Amino acid sequence: MRIFNRIVLIVVLAGLFLLGVYMVVYSFDLFDHKLASLPFSPAGKSISGFIGDVTRGSLTVLGVIILVLVAIVGLILLIAELKPRTPQRVRMQKGTYITRGVVEGEVEEAAEGTPDVLGSTTKVQAKRSPGAKINLDANVRRGENTNAIKSNLQERVQQRLARSGIPVGSLKIRLNESDPRETKTRVQ
Amino acid sequence: MTNGLLQIARAASEAALATEGVYSMGSGRFVEAATYEGGDKVTGVVVKPDELEIHVVARYPLPKPIPEISKNIMERVAPHAGDRKTLVVVEDLEVGADENL
Repeated sequence: MRIFNRIVLIVVLAGLFLLGVYMVVYSFDLFDHKLASLPFSPAGKSISGFIGDVTRGSLTVLGVIILVLVAIVGLILLIAELKPRTPQRVRMQKGTYITRGVVEGEVEEAAEGTPDVLGSTTKVQAKRSPGAKINLDANVRRGENTNAIKSNLQERVQQRLARSGIPVGSLKIRLNESDPRETKTRVQ
Repeated sequence: MTNGLLQIARAASEAALATEGVYSMGSGRFVEAATYEGGDKVTGVVVKPDELEIHVVARYPLPKPIPEISKNIMERVAPHAGDRKTLVVVEDLEVGADENL
């Protein structure tokens, strides 16, 4: 979001700079440009009419909706800018960090060593507090007892991570019933 | 300061490599983790004014949990760190050459 906000800010500042240059040129009648000779387009007239309505306090419902929307967008961008970044590495304890890739590797090894799991994909997010947020998608054959596999899988992943000393913030497991011909391994 | 960032980095790197469970020094994921001085560099250690960052690749299978390895690294590195806070970053796990995995 920071990059998006930065782009918006650059565009706004560039626009303001251009407007400023034009204002100086037209205000001081430089290079034969006169303020009086500026043609007012219909869009320009409607904008000046809108601003007039705002200053007089006689806005239409549509005007109010537009202003509220602008305020909401501004608030969202402000919150996105102020919100601290998600950390890149998983915090373990005081002064120790581990990359998300290592956690992903450990989770996948545990998952793929679990009976009836034919393959898996893992997504790990670092939290500001110690621990990782883990989303594990595991492939199983159709018709398997998914509840039993899920609890077994959860236990194995947690045991493996505990053995490595990696704190788990949250672990979400989703089982996908898949065709074994399309998975990493056909038999487990 | 002339006593050098590189000297600190080298000492810290040697201390970290001598710790059980450390396979090699890491090199950073998105940005190279290294200390530079006078055209020379030490990879895996970033010496900052108030922080010493140690990047390691841990040996697999782990001889002990990662937090313990990290604690041992911190203890070994502490004499070279001065007043700096030590951070340990485990970048990867590598199967040791003597392991048949």
